[in-house]
Amino acid sequence: MTDNHRQIERDAALWLARRDAGGWSDRQQAALDAWLAGNVAHRVAFLRLEAAWDEAARLKTFAAGDVAGRIPARGEWACSPYFAPSINSERAVMRDRRAASHKRRRWPAFAGIAASLLVAAAVAGGFVWRDYTHVDRAAWKTAMGAREVVHLPDGSTATLGSETDVRMAFSRGERDLELTRGEAFFDVAHDAVRPFVVRANGYRVTAVGTRFDVRRDAGQLRVVVTRGLVRLQSAHDPAKPPAMLPAGSIATVAGDDVAISQVSMDEAREALSWRNGFVVFHRTPLAEAVREFNRYNTRQIVIADSSLDGLRVGGNFKLDNSDAFVRLMQAVFPVQAELRDREIVLTRKSRAHTAH
Amino acid sequence: MGSAVDDWFVSEVLVHEQALMRFLHRNWRDHDEVPDLRQEVYVRVYEAATRRVPDSPKSFLFATARNLLVDRVRHQRIVPITAVGDIEQLHVMQDELEPGRWLGGREALARLARALDRLPDRCREVVWLRRIEDLPQKEIARRLGISEKTVEKHIAKGSRMLANHFHGGSDTNAAPGKARRERAWLSKST
Repeated sequence: MTDNHRQIERDAALWLARRDAGGWSDRQQAALDAWLAGNVAHRVAFLRLEAAWDEAARLKTFAAGDVAGRIPARGEWACSPYFAPSINSERAVMRDRRAASHKRRRWPAFAGIAASLLVAAAVAGGFVWRDYTHVDRAAWKTAMGAREVVHLPDGSTATLGSETDVRMAFSRGERDLELTRGEAFFDVAHDAVRPFVVRANGYRVTAVGTRFDVRRDAGQLRVVVTRGLVRLQSAHDPAKPPAMLPAGSIATVAGDDVAISQVSMDEAREALSWRNGFVVFHRTPLAEAVREFNRYNTRQIVIADSSLDGLRVGGNFKLDNSDAFVRLMQAVFPVQAELRDREIVLTRKSRAHTAH
Repeated sequence: MGSAVDDWFVSEVLVHEQALMRFLHRNWRDHDEVPDLRQEVYVRVYEAATRRVPDSPKSFLFATARNLLVDRVRHQRIVPITAVGDIEQLHVMQDELEPGRWLGGREALARLARALDRLPDRCREVVWLRRIEDLPQKEIARRLGISEKTVEKHIAKGSRMLANHFHGGSDTNAAPGKARRERAWLSKST
């Protein structure tokens, strides 16, 4: 951006008005030429004003025949049979356009990703499983801030989040995956005879043909199901009845406690925004929001004052940009950030803040 | 003035300002920044035209606007997911690809008339006397009993307001109500 448009527009208007005043000398013209040549922004601003100013002279055709010096009242134009139809019709057109633009809906970015995962699954689906005794093993590990899509040999895909470890052992009888760290979203190829099992935090998350997300936190496990049906079962205590999670479920597991909530599909998908590099907050406590960023960024955010934990945050953020998040927090909350090499420390702003 | 590029810019680019403003308003969250974006789009288009005049001015104008928004989003610190979704696949809507505003006759005059009616009283009088009755600024000052400097100021202001309304279809080229609503995406409470 060269300069503020308002200032440039004002300057351009002054040049135009001065030239219009008459008695314009060559020296003044030279000065105007220099101003115009100095910056393309000057030139386009001037051209724009000049064009409208020149056009305005065409109103003479309307005024022709009118008494000189009599300035018509506002809206008097519209009463003229010459003008009336076009003014009204143009207004109607503008109204229609406004209405039309409101009707348009935005495509969620998610749809594109989902579609590409489907295509990937379909392409990989041609794989033929021949060796009955063979166990197909592989392991993946992602760095902090990474996101990676892995194509599994059965045609399923796994999208791995930041700092995630996944081990695969696919045999004739079972598709076994172990999530030892982090978070992964699975788009599971249908295979009725081989259950697709993700083991994490002492639980078995089992699917047949579905989409779901498994995430490990310190001592916690979260499962989000966006399609199909998932069975959540304790690995240590097979006697415990499994929980069945239909699409739109979010299950949070801490030790023996399993909490299941049913949410809309939009909410369930929102919980998976990380796959597109985003995180979505709705009145989320600051402490929780900070944890999300810390999953993805080496420079950790530390809340030094626990009275800030409960501030609620809303909005969509880029996961890899915790700096921006912190700047915003400082702008809207009584929060002060100290930037250090490896961390960002949040404290309460000392002076009184009334906006909260 | 009067170079080939200047004429091209006025007749082929400025005529699409209303569509351009709609496009910018729809695709940029902060509507206060739209006039700055418009200026930057014009600068880029004009600069490109001094090297080679684009074959299809309207497509080029919108491609430039789109690129500018993409650049801006990349440099922005915080990007709402909806903005990115749109930016990545910024469509130029169908109505923006229609032929440029027809300036031949009544439509243009009606637009000018409305633009003139939007001016404040004294400013409107001055512009009328200057543009329609062709009175010199000095004579207008004498007739209205105001200083020549004041007449000049009215002319300057009038030219800006006329341009915004005539080219862009609004006085300020901004839609404050919408901007306010769309800024509410960051919520806070205790």
